[in-house]
Amino acid sequence: MKNEQAEVALPLIRRGRDQNLARLLVMLGVVFALMAVLRPEQFVTPANFGSMMRQFPEYGIMAIGVSLTMITGGIDLGVVGTANLSAILAAKLMFAAVPRGAPPEQALPYLALAVLVALACGLACGAFAGLLISRFEIPAILATLGTQQLYTGIAIGITNGRPQSGLPLLYSKIGNTEFFGLFPLSFLVFLVVAVGIAFLLSSSRFGMYLYMLGTNSKAALYAGLGNTSILIRTYMLSGLLSSVAGLIMMARANSAKAEYGAPYTLQCVLIAVLGGIDPSGGFGKIVGVTLAIFILQFLSSGLNMFNNISNFYRDVIWGGVLILVLVFNRLLSQRAERRAARRGE
Amino acid sequence: MKKILTVTLGLLLCVCIAAPLFGQTYDAAKFKSSKPQSQWKIALVPKDATNAWFVRMEQGVKRYAADTKINVFQKGPPKTDAAMQAQVIEDMIAQGVDAICVVPVDIAALEPVLGQALSKGIVVIAHEGSSLENILFDIEAFSNEGLGQALMQVLAKSMGEKGSYTTMVGNVTNASHNEWADAAVAYQKTKYPNMALLAAEPRVEIMDNLDTAYQRAKELFKKYPTLKGILGTSSLSTPGTARAIDELGLKGKAFVTSVGMPNENKPYLKSGTVQAVMLWDSAEAGYAMLAAAVAVLKGEKIANGINLKAKGWESMQFAPGSKKVLLGKSWVNITKDNVDSFGF
Repeated sequence: MKNEQAEVALPLIRRGRDQNLARLLVMLGVVFALMAVLRPEQFVTPANFGSMMRQFPEYGIMAIGVSLTMITGGIDLGVVGTANLSAILAAKLMFAAVPRGAPPEQALPYLALAVLVALACGLACGAFAGLLISRFEIPAILATLGTQQLYTGIAIGITNGRPQSGLPLLYSKIGNTEFFGLFPLSFLVFLVVAVGIAFLLSSSRFGMYLYMLGTNSKAALYAGLGNTSILIRTYMLSGLLSSVAGLIMMARANSAKAEYGAPYTLQCVLIAVLGGIDPSGGFGKIVGVTLAIFILQFLSSGLNMFNNISNFYRDVIWGGVLILVLVFNRLLSQRAERRAARRGE
Repeated sequence: MKKILTVTLGLLLCVCIAAPLFGQTYDAAKFKSSKPQSQWKIALVPKDATNAWFVRMEQGVKRYAADTKINVFQKGPPKTDAAMQAQVIEDMIAQGVDAICVVPVDIAALEPVLGQALSKGIVVIAHEGSSLENILFDIEAFSNEGLGQALMQVLAKSMGEKGSYTTMVGNVTNASHNEWADAAVAYQKTKYPNMALLAAEPRVEIMDNLDTAYQRAKELFKKYPTLKGILGTSSLSTPGTARAIDELGLKGKAFVTSVGMPNENKPYLKSGTVQAVMLWDSAEAGYAMLAAAVAVLKGEKIANGINLKAKGWESMQFAPGSKKVLLGKSWVNITKDNVDSFGF
């Protein structure tokens, strides 16, 4: 669908995307102001911000992974499955290696090893999905729907569906550390991930390849890019981020289970789209995704402050927002294309 | 610079390791509130916001608010998910509620966040979470053994006290569901020697989902033609299984019972596919949880015989050997004759 007109329109659309950031900022401001005015004594408190900072990193990091794959024109629905499988493997290793009540200095190396195993599992899960999508040319949405089922299935198989609880205390102690009494470790991990991936996208060769591949994969191929390798690496990165999210969930719940956070999958897609990632590929920034994460967390925690609004409506609100944003973005880019076409004549 | 960072991080790590471990027992008397009653805020966090069972529970919450004028409200996650339920509780703590009543999705996943609530002086009362550690009290409508036995009596009567059966739980991780099923199986072994538990699949999980209950039941009856009965625990097992029984033409040959809501089961009770389901009223349970939380906030001693002011919950007894789990006597058999009398 990327015809000549669209190519001409590129810079304009880019500008449109920057307006998208401005729109997101306004939206964030509006949501914040609304909550701050309606529930001042509850919303604008250190406790609430602490609570929100503990909540969003786990799905925020997965949303960044999903965003990366969407920039290539794909999608990764396997993030939650990958996260849980990685966490379960780490938990199993901890159970096997660390005796109950072992002193911290004895437990620590094994915990580190368990974390590495989880990350390796994330990479492997991602590599497999990437292989299906690039080498076997299965549409990403189907391939990752499959991997999601597969990874969740393996996780249920390993655990019989039971939660893996009773992890060494040291793990959740470290995982739930709060710096300066306010910033949870998971929040700092999220910051590192967000800044790192944003830098990767904006300033590295790999980042540029992602956008090129997402804009026009045929052109990228003819331009000499190794599409297969780029895609596999992208999904590996998404898998790696998922396993980080899995480790965070495990620390927060002090346990791992095959089905923790199942509703996060669609929430991640919603965040990516709301954050301005073009579902057909080629556009989007991590700053936008981060703003979208904040908007959703503000809405979510804010809604919990209204005793009379059932969380049932949260789905309605989020679904509505998703469709509105998609339609709005489409209308804007159509307008930009028309203008560019007029100017071209 | 790097050295300073390393040292700081190292110190922080030491501090958090040295910090006191999660407390295991809590003294309820220390949770007496110093605030006037009019400033109390109590949240009830169910498994999800839309399930009919919890919609009914909210009626009890509203009745409690009307009766006592205390600020109580129900706030559940949008979907039945452990991670999302933990987030709601996290938000409740941040809002500074005085007490949290919870019906847990997953015990293990909630321990850290409930421990956090208790450490901030928030009263934590659970229902259907008897194995939770980070709570002050867990209140159950009846002893798990009592309900399990009662369910088995109903199923055995339907099956003519003979044949193969299996058990169906909401989640294999749901402590109460498994205890009911275990008690039912134990009761069958002593009372109904001509019945036998399906050895290949003795416990089926339906993920607290009606459609899954239907799918699993259909699979089971097809896979094991001799299977005659399903003893369910979740309120979704009976309508799901009954639909499978009707579709497979097994009415009168295969039977099911479980805990169940009257309206959801009414068509099957009336048509005769299902003989009886059991129920405790979730509205009364919600009411009783709030009453327990308020009793703690008022500094009342929680002891055998305490009255939680809801029907069937007037004289609570501690479970044998427990100082945390209180049992009531609040259950009824729902049959085609009384199904219309509940009004929900």
